[in-house]
Amino acid sequence: MEFFLHILISGIATGAIYSLIAVGYSITFSTMQILNFALGMWVMIGGMLTLTFNVMFGLDLAVTLLALIVVMILLGIVGERVSVHPFFRAGSDVWVMSTLAVGFLFINVAELIWGRNPEPVPPFFGDGIIAVGAFAIFPQQLLVIVSALVIFLALHLFYYRTLLGKAFRATAHSSEVTSLMGINTRLICVLSYVITSVLAGVAGFIIVPITFAEAQMGTVLGLKAFAIAIIAGLGAPRGILVCGIAYGALEGLASGYFYTGIRDILGFSLMILVLFLRPEGLFGTPSSERA
Amino acid sequence: MRYFKTRAAIILAAVAVPLAAAPGAGMADTVRIGISAALTGPAAFVGVSIRRGAEMATDAINAKGGIGGKKIELVIRDDEHNPVKTVANHRELVEREKVVAMLGTTNSAAMLATAPIINDELKVPVVCPATDATKITENKAWEQKKDNYVFRLGMFGRGQANFLINTLVKKFGYKKVGLLTWTAGWGVTGRGELNRRLKELGMKAVADETYDTADTDMTPQLLKLKRAGAEVIVNYGLARENGFVARTRQKLRDKTPYASAWGIAAPAFWKAAGKAGEGIMTSTTIAMDGPQSPERKAVIDEYTRRYKEKIEGPPFFFAAYDIVHLLAQVIGKVGTDPNAIRAGLENVPEFKGLIHHFKRPVFTRQRHDALTEEDMILGRWTNGELLQVMYDGSGPHVVTGDGKKRYIDTKTLALK
Amino acid sequence: MIPPAAVRAAWPLLLLLLAAMPLVTPGSYFQFMLILVFIHAVVAIGLNILTGYSGLFSLGHAALMAMGAYTSALVSKGLAAVPVLAATGFHVWIGMIAGTVAAAAFGAVLAAPSLRLKGPYLAMVTVAFGWVVWKILLEWVEVTGGELGITAIPKANIGPLVLTTSYFYYFALAAVVLAMVFQRNLIRSAYGRRLLAVRHSEIAAASVGINVYGVKVKVFVISAALAGVGGALFAHQQNFVNPDNFQFFSSVFFLLAVLFGGAGTLIGPVIGAAVLTLLPELLHGFDRIRLIVYGVFILATLYFQPNGVAGFLRLKVTTLPGLRREETPAPAAAIEGLRLDRSAAPETDALLEVRSLTKTFGGLTALKDVSLKLAPGRVHAVIGPNGAGKTTLINLLSGFYRPDAGEIRIEGRPADIRSMHGAAGLGIARTFQTIKLFGDLTVIENVMVAFERHAAPRLWDSVGRTARGQREEGRRMREAEALIAFVGLGDYGMTPASALSYGHRRLLEIARALAVRPRILLLDEPAAGLVAEEIDALRRLIRSLCEAGIAIILVEHRMELVTAISDEVTVIDYGEIIAHGEPGAIQRDRRVIEAYLGSANGNAQD
Repeated sequence: MEFFLHILISGIATGAIYSLIAVGYSITFSTMQILNFALGMWVMIGGMLTLTFNVMFGLDLAVTLLALIVVMILLGIVGERVSVHPFFRAGSDVWVMSTLAVGFLFINVAELIWGRNPEPVPPFFGDGIIAVGAFAIFPQQLLVIVSALVIFLALHLFYYRTLLGKAFRATAHSSEVTSLMGINTRLICVLSYVITSVLAGVAGFIIVPITFAEAQMGTVLGLKAFAIAIIAGLGAPRGILVCGIAYGALEGLASGYFYTGIRDILGFSLMILVLFLRPEGLFGTPSSERA
Repeated sequence: MRYFKTRAAIILAAVAVPLAAAPGAGMADTVRIGISAALTGPAAFVGVSIRRGAEMATDAINAKGGIGGKKIELVIRDDEHNPVKTVANHRELVEREKVVAMLGTTNSAAMLATAPIINDELKVPVVCPATDATKITENKAWEQKKDNYVFRLGMFGRGQANFLINTLVKKFGYKKVGLLTWTAGWGVTGRGELNRRLKELGMKAVADETYDTADTDMTPQLLKLKRAGAEVIVNYGLARENGFVARTRQKLRDKTPYASAWGIAAPAFWKAAGKAGEGIMTSTTIAMDGPQSPERKAVIDEYTRRYKEKIEGPPFFFAAYDIVHLLAQVIGKVGTDPNAIRAGLENVPEFKGLIHHFKRPVFTRQRHDALTEEDMILGRWTNGELLQVMYDGSGPHVVTGDGKKRYIDTKTLALK
Repeated sequence: MIPPAAVRAAWPLLLLLLAAMPLVTPGSYFQFMLILVFIHAVVAIGLNILTGYSGLFSLGHAALMAMGAYTSALVSKGLAAVPVLAATGFHVWIGMIAGTVAAAAFGAVLAAPSLRLKGPYLAMVTVAFGWVVWKILLEWVEVTGGELGITAIPKANIGPLVLTTSYFYYFALAAVVLAMVFQRNLIRSAYGRRLLAVRHSEIAAASVGINVYGVKVKVFVISAALAGVGGALFAHQQNFVNPDNFQFFSSVFFLLAVLFGGAGTLIGPVIGAAVLTLLPELLHGFDRIRLIVYGVFILATLYFQPNGVAGFLRLKVTTLPGLRREETPAPAAAIEGLRLDRSAAPETDALLEVRSLTKTFGGLTALKDVSLKLAPGRVHAVIGPNGAGKTTLINLLSGFYRPDAGEIRIEGRPADIRSMHGAAGLGIARTFQTIKLFGDLTVIENVMVAFERHAAPRLWDSVGRTARGQREEGRRMREAEALIAFVGLGDYGMTPASALSYGHRRLLEIARALAVRPRILLLDEPAAGLVAEEIDALRRLIRSLCEAGIAIILVEHRMELVTAISDEVTVIDYGEIIAHGEPGAIQRDRRVIEAYLGSANGNAQD
């Protein structure tokens, strides 16, 4: 039982990382029907900026976070302008390549600026451990779990309690109707991309002490997060939170009771299975299209 | 459609002509040595170490007048850790750049792919500083007792696994060995070699766990090893992942002795693990901290002066440094005919390298691995330094920077 | 201008040049690199068929190539133990075929679930697939050899002749040439036209009877098979495979080769493969910024030159390769071709019967309890204010939506309309309120695509250029010419659809729908945007279709057209039928006037 709880806790902590990243896919998908294919690389940039501001410049964490958010907003605006806006036509998937291309630029620029070796970033609350009896967790892991919950709550409030959030949901439903209602859909597209970018940056900020800063730190995470977004349903943020954490926990249990190597193959098969049986995702609602 | 066909021909020709044209005019007055290694990507620290080792050795030799008046010229290619690029680079280096000898790459698989081409087609000697798959030197030509052009001055897989298991079982007295290996890269090969050696000794791993590049929390694996009652955990992996292992050990307050293959014999490990890395041991060919010979110290100082940092991959750097010196010595004796160099390498009675002072023939026709199990050493990470583990009647110990002898507690690997 | 003869000579010359290469270049390096170019080109051609012509992205082609390479390596190594096979060289050929089949099979497994959905699913699923394949190759050491891979893969041999580098060079060259021919024949045919149609508008393609999902899965399988061929070639050229060459980045390499060379052009993938394979060999210095170069390449290509290098050379695709033009039948013949043969049909006055059809979206009821009947040769107009549910009715009848309740019967039997192409298969054709043509295709191609129901193209007829295929293609062309002449577009056959005037586009859409040989034709506001003379022509056109026995449902706002040609009129408002009857009676109906006048004054809108 102790063994079970131990790996369950560490699995949940890992799963919270997946959820944090996966929700980014959902935001742009629900407004624009596009994804940032290189979301993992944006997370990496967040990690690298944390390394730069916090470790190299010695700024404190609050200032680091603030500076990081500013940079991510700017990158988000530029990224949308460069890789989404020019290719944003109904039915065209060209943005798959263009967003990916931006990801390549990020990786290579990161290698040039920050080198190719993993750089540790000190955990925000020091090297200590939070121990309760036989159980232990890194404070940073706890922070990831708490931040995931806070961010999802904030998103929920945004979507359902603010006018802008309602406009987002309206755009998701039909951009034509939304623009008829006098909402600036272009602004909403940019905004949703920027929010995704900032969330990715913040995710990078929170997880970089766990993963270390390196050019490839987000690649696999981005991929797993995508699998989770599909399993949960791209239009279902709350489902993504649940699925991400469940996925992390299952991964931990698979490693603990079976064999580590089988993990990702199972995850991938699960994604294919969900696509087959319930294309809209476990928590999604089937969408209808217009002729 | 139509215009384009001719234009396509023009484009193809534009690409083809410069490729076909042979470069490197006026190279007769230098001795050209080729290097193909990963200079970009995650394995680059190995490639860059090789490159710097070769460059510093070349500069040292050229400063003393080169080889019989001819300067050494290095021709370096990035192979991106990719076998196809590696094979292409070797072909290019031999056929177009006319190198007379080469230093092998960073990727075992790539070297395995290249070996038959070197022996069957290119016939130019290659000495490997890094790749450790056993079959690289014990290849088909070796099996068939034909001329084998592939040599190695570094770890080889079978030897390293034997060394690690033998040392831990025989010198440290552990009976229950648990394995924790990386699912990517050479971790998989290493896992096989460790299991093989355990079987040869009539033992079996009490647990055989793996982790992959995306794992940052090794709780399940370490708990399983602990449950299985492992007295020592043996690892095959790289610095970053082992940093996570070390940190998870710290979280779980797990003091089980932990030893690794040479993937963590580099400063990057301490950087990744921090204080959690204290006491972790690794097999290596060289421990560059602690007391050093004057020759080694001079090179280390020169490196620090030139590059303003610690050597990233000491085993690879020093191997490359030694290989260039060894090649220079042989070429000075037999000339620049590749086949003569191959034969010459098999006939070096003594060589004083920085990794090892060979008082026996470095290579023989049947033994293309310069280092044997006996030449490998164990290092212990001690306060950020990798110190060589030595033995006396009272057991394993290290000598710290201040010259004190400190014995190792084999239950926890802590210093007594 | 270059004389055509010289142009025709360019291909053989280029081939001759490539064939002479091993004789004039010393050493193996250059041949080695060119063989790699050929192998990459084969894979890129496969990807081009998928991405360039069908508009689907795959970022997992390296993994499919790995399937081909590993399968071929393992099978041929296994079969090498059989002396007969090893002596004749069949062990390698069987291995290569097995590799191709394995890649195709995995392609099917991947494509089938992810293509059920629109959008980026396929691309991302292929990414994940590539990643998992890579992991399996690494970890299933007993079979794949793990990181160290499989060594000593047999060289191909034909009896005693072993295909060493120079011989293999010709073999790989032949493979590229074959792949090129395959691609050309596939694309410049009815089959390719179908791909282009699907890429351009899936909805329109489905409306003429194309099974869009099936076409996409098939083209993915074809593409995967070519990746498998590339992989098998690779295994026997290198005589070594390991996971390093089949990582995500290799998949990106192929996609970049296609985009850079020119997606959707025949030669593009070959140019792309050649440049991207050879360029790094020329520029040893750019290793450090490789990904930046690739990223900028991708963005710049997408931005400035979406058709790549080959697009820069102004290449156009036509799916009509030199068909002999025979005498065009008179327009009158077209209507004969459309005339319904009703001798076998059951005696019933209702060709189409709709019973209590209901459709809701979320909480909103778009159509409620709608029933109507339609006899052959009759025009049944459906009118009502905007948002009344008229288009929803058409979408239900054409299989775009499935009803929540109610029944659709054709010739007295319940018709299970599961999809748009299914509806077309039952003889229901439609036009769209917002015109959906295949803009890149010419007028005649737009119509030729729509013969799916009675002359669906077969893969082998296209690729093999069979006599039967040519015959059918000739027939499609003649019938299409007759149809476009019939609707009055006879002079515009070779004009791209996107260049037509608005009124002509409406007519072309009708001609395309007629190519389905419909029993029931659904016209969704065909007169919208037309000027008076055009409406007049449209009226005559509809009239002659009725005479041919086609039943027509006409959704229209232009009352002059409705009253002129309708036999019956149904009025719906807020999803419900509010009136039904002859045009004259409807015009006098009080409720209709209210609904319409209210609508006209703009105060009855929802």
